[in-house]
Amino acid sequence: MKPRKLIVTAVAAGILVVWSFPVLWALLTSFKTERDVLAYPPKLIFTPTLASYADVLFGSASVLPNLGSSLVVASLATALAMLIAIPAAYALARLEFPAKRGTGFYVLATQMLPPVGLIIPYYLVMQKLAVLDTYAGLIVIYLTFSLPFAIWLLVSYFEDIPREMEEAALLDRASRLRALWHVILPQVRGGIAVTAIFVFLNAWNEFLFAVVLGGNRVRTVTVAMFNFISVEQTLWAKLAAGAVLAMAPVILLGLLAQRHIVKGLTVGAVKGGGRR
Amino acid sequence: MSAAGTVRLEGIVKRHGAVTVLHGIDLAIAAGEFFALLGPSGSGKTTTLRILAGLEPHDAGRVIQDGVDVTYREPGDRDVAMVFQSYALYPHMSVYENIAFPLRMVGTPTPELDLAVREAAMKVHIDHLLARKPGQLSGGQQQRCALARAIVRKPKLFLLDEPLSNLDAKLRLETRVELRKLQRALGVTTVYVTHDQEEAMTIADRIAVFIEGRIVQIGTPNDVFEKPASIVVAAFIGSPPMNLLPGMIVRGRLTIGELDCVLDRDGLGDGAVTVGLRPGALSFASDGIPGRVELVEDLGDSSIVNVEVGDQRVKVRTQHRPGVREGEAVHLHFDATALHLFDRDSGARL
Repeated sequence: MKPRKLIVTAVAAGILVVWSFPVLWALLTSFKTERDVLAYPPKLIFTPTLASYADVLFGSASVLPNLGSSLVVASLATALAMLIAIPAAYALARLEFPAKRGTGFYVLATQMLPPVGLIIPYYLVMQKLAVLDTYAGLIVIYLTFSLPFAIWLLVSYFEDIPREMEEAALLDRASRLRALWHVILPQVRGGIAVTAIFVFLNAWNEFLFAVVLGGNRVRTVTVAMFNFISVEQTLWAKLAAGAVLAMAPVILLGLLAQRHIVKGLTVGAVKGGGRR
Repeated sequence: MSAAGTVRLEGIVKRHGAVTVLHGIDLAIAAGEFFALLGPSGSGKTTTLRILAGLEPHDAGRVIQDGVDVTYREPGDRDVAMVFQSYALYPHMSVYENIAFPLRMVGTPTPELDLAVREAAMKVHIDHLLARKPGQLSGGQQQRCALARAIVRKPKLFLLDEPLSNLDAKLRLETRVELRKLQRALGVTTVYVTHDQEEAMTIADRIAVFIEGRIVQIGTPNDVFEKPASIVVAAFIGSPPMNLLPGMIVRGRLTIGELDCVLDRDGLGDGAVTVGLRPGALSFASDGIPGRVELVEDLGDSSIVNVEVGDQRVKVRTQHRPGVREGEAVHLHFDATALHLFDRDSGARL
């Protein structure tokens, strides 16, 4: 191996170890008893138990309903976001309309606000509308940050499709909507998949809004895990088991779509410049 | 051949912000005509084609098809088919689906559609490739696929935007001939954009020469070649283009450098002119314009001899080996009928 390659490999391995440490720690801890977790010095060799998983799945503090809530919130938020973002991104990429630049910037600007600053206004508005702690309320709030993200990611995919493609379709007597459906969308399938995955991950992993604006009737898995931490004690093994259960679907999703995601993140990096 | 298919452009003006791209284009194309828009890049020929297709909005003027004003019609409502320079094939569809697309969009019944697709594919010799995706085709095959997609619905007007520019030289020559044959067979009015004057000369019934957003001449290839309307056209048409030398007319006599000859044309006033001479109209003789051979370019069946005349370079095309050597002093002879005279100031043909 050349020295350069050796260094790159070593650095990559280092990053991998640091990055995967919390995940491995959670995985190990989830198989320990609460007593083993607190043992000092930490036990690397212990008798693994599924007790925490049994508890977390079927016990009194089961996170199964919460996984269900997360699934509902994340899936619906993703579906709605894509439904709105696809036509919006297409319009921004292709159509000429008044205040197009302004609209584009406005969409992006909403991404620049720190989410924590919005919590109180959101809370008050949702309270007035009586949608606090409802699926509808939480999903709409998730749209506020996933939509701009989805729109801007999709715009770059749409811009990568040559304009002549849909001009040809228009001349072939397709309406704009049919040109979009038959000619453009099939070509941005990959981009749509990547965007949907990102939106889903963001919603699935979200904690701040979920804990403040939901929490009782609608309790997502991230919020539920937080319940294992209380003033008197922290149930580390259960927390870890819950975390592993919460991480599993997204890690699986990430691995399945890895190739697309990497391509999605580098879109426009090589030719044409992508996003405007 | 259908009588339908006439096209007229009236005073088309197109601006991009402060820049005027087209300064009032007037054009009338007859039914079934093969009409070329010829000009250097940036001269507005492609923009004109796109305005014809309805793909580009313009600032003033009208587009008239078969006597009907279609200026504000959507591209799909104009019965126009176009082959793009990039072909714009739909990469996710098979060749069959690409060709079928225009028919699917108007709900053609399947048996009829199938027949039309196969017929169109046959005409351009790609009927054995129908199952492939465009990415699996060679450049020439892609171009044929784009052609098939355009002819399958028998449009009134056929627009071609530099369709041969992405092909290699040999294929370009072959496709040129086939394109012409296809157009004759279909009898569809065709507007063809190219920057290649040789292509335009060989393929078109008539040519409109575009220079800087204006049409400077419309005519048959012969007209444009034999009687260029101005210095710009003269300098653009022909390969190599026309030699342009400064001259002076005084009392019916023309002086070019050291050469002085009688003009056999009446009605020319005294003054400075530009003399145009096609490289093929010049030959070596014992008298004529004196010069020195600078370089001989051997093209195999012909030669281009570069001759230094004063501080100018004149190109001479000879059919055989020229019989002159580099550095040799020569005289350039020409027939008086081969002379083109242009006004030195306005550039207009005299």
